[in-house]
Amino acid sequence: MSQVAIAGGRAAWRGRLGTELQSTGARLDVRRALQLGLAAIWLLDGVLQYQAFMYSKGFSQMLGGTASGNPGVVARPINWNATLVEHHLVLLNTIFATIQVLIGLGIAFRPTVRAALAASIAWALGVWWFGEGLGGVLNGAASPLNGAPGAVIIYALLAVLLWPADHPGASAPFTAARAVGAHVARALWLVLWLSLAYFALTPGNRAAQGPNGMIAGMDSGQPGWLSAILRGAASLVAGQGLAASIALAVALVIIALGVYLPPSVTKATLVLAIVVALVIWVVGEAFGMILAGGATDPNSGPLLVLLALCYWPVKATAAPALATSAEGKAL
Amino acid sequence: MTPAWILDILAALMLVVAGVSAGRLVAAQPWQRGSVFTDTDVAHLLMAIAMAGMLASSLTTLPNAAWDVIFALLTAWFAVRVVRDASANGVRALAGGHCAPHLVHSAAMLYMFEALAAPAGGAGMSGMGSSGSAMQTLRYPTLAFVFALILIGYTIWDLDQLSGRRYGTRPTLAPLAGVTAAVPALAAAGGPAATPSAPQAAVLAETGGTASAPANVGVAADLDASAPETGSAARGFLLSPAVTISCRIAMGATMAFMLIIMI
Repeated sequence: MSQVAIAGGRAAWRGRLGTELQSTGARLDVRRALQLGLAAIWLLDGVLQYQAFMYSKGFSQMLGGTASGNPGVVARPINWNATLVEHHLVLLNTIFATIQVLIGLGIAFRPTVRAALAASIAWALGVWWFGEGLGGVLNGAASPLNGAPGAVIIYALLAVLLWPADHPGASAPFTAARAVGAHVARALWLVLWLSLAYFALTPGNRAAQGPNGMIAGMDSGQPGWLSAILRGAASLVAGQGLAASIALAVALVIIALGVYLPPSVTKATLVLAIVVALVIWVVGEAFGMILAGGATDPNSGPLLVLLALCYWPVKATAAPALATSAEGKAL
Repeated sequence: MTPAWILDILAALMLVVAGVSAGRLVAAQPWQRGSVFTDTDVAHLLMAIAMAGMLASSLTTLPNAAWDVIFALLTAWFAVRVVRDASANGVRALAGGHCAPHLVHSAAMLYMFEALAAPAGGAGMSGMGSSGSAMQTLRYPTLAFVFALILIGYTIWDLDQLSGRRYGTRPTLAPLAGVTAAVPALAAAGGPAATPSAPQAAVLAETGGTASAPANVGVAADLDASAPETGSAARGFLLSPAVTISCRIAMGATMAFMLIIMI
């Protein structure tokens, strides 16, 4: 029902509304906003899991396919899981989808944010192994363009960095440092982006037609405008795999080191990180193949953007404004 | 394809939302002069019925053409209200005003009915789960994706605000800055003190019931629910902002689900 109101007219409304704006700004701090971004991606992820494709044999075959090329100790549980899913497809896929939806809603619901973030870490680690074959890290299939080192592991990383607690000691120079401290947060960032740079230079990815084949392979089933973008990007790197890989790797190394530089330079490298992540999302991942149907998640692009925002320098304050749950716990 | 029982569960949820919205409409007594402004409850009621009809093959509602007209009107109505909000409260209201989510909901419904091929005979949607082994799909999937992203965003935001107790579960007074005494807000009020005069109602109508920016949802909602001190606790709860926002969360998530699985 909409509002009915009141004496005082427009001026009175404005007075009250101005007050509300200020108080709301104080209640929703940057970390809470980023948590909500993570919640939205989890919810999207969960809803995608309800698509018709996930209730077909194609899903279990996709799971089993991630075992290929992995060491036996990694591959056997993946195959076991794929067989289990094949035999109980409707039940297990519905459970998978519901868990992901609940994680998203749980992060958004203030009283359950800690439980949901903890569950998301456990779930993400499980999916990284059983659903993504460790992101292709061990079988040479990983590429920054296809979501290496596995989109789902970035969910876990974000949950750790956005954990609703404040690390004791000096005030945090960026949001990701609040939970784990600046040194650990920077080290995690460095490892992630340097690993992406490494994957960009693996033999399969630096082959003359490597990036071209990967981008062109995303074209099937896409709407016309996206197909045109993908075809254009593929032709741009056709036969230029080595040069494209080196250029991408250089950009990724600059991004990796950026968080150790002065804040003004850090901001520039974070903008570069966001741009690279968006280019990867559009050109390399085709929006996670969502528009073609059958995507299990939006892939790594939006997660990398969210991660970059976690490292955006903020004014260090002794007591940062906290979002709180209804019970007064920090979010 | 997505199991029919999942669609049926969501259809049942939408019928619950429709029932709650109908209950709010009755409890608010909108037929009483100047008592209440009920556009969002009407929108929730209609959307929930339409969505239930789309989700469950066994439900027959209105013909597609009727839904097209209804959601075109609702979209236009909320677009006007959002523009008025923006002119009164700044451009932020375009995205975060009280009516902005309703505008997106209405537009998404209109899109779904336009983009989903109607079954032969045109006597209403046959239900997403009714077309045998093939799931119906939407034309312009990019638009479906964009709508789904926005709906998910609003759903998450609403849930955060609801759990932050921004939306009360009981009627409250709405003290206004610049007003010397707290004035009971009027929605669904039973007593004469809570009934707006005709000029007041005119002001409200002019401003779209309230001015609202993202942060103003709380204000709007407070006013929305503030009222029936003379009514029962159950009636007060039914008319509370928390209930209508809960309905909006359920509808937003379900609508995003429908859009995604029909891409």
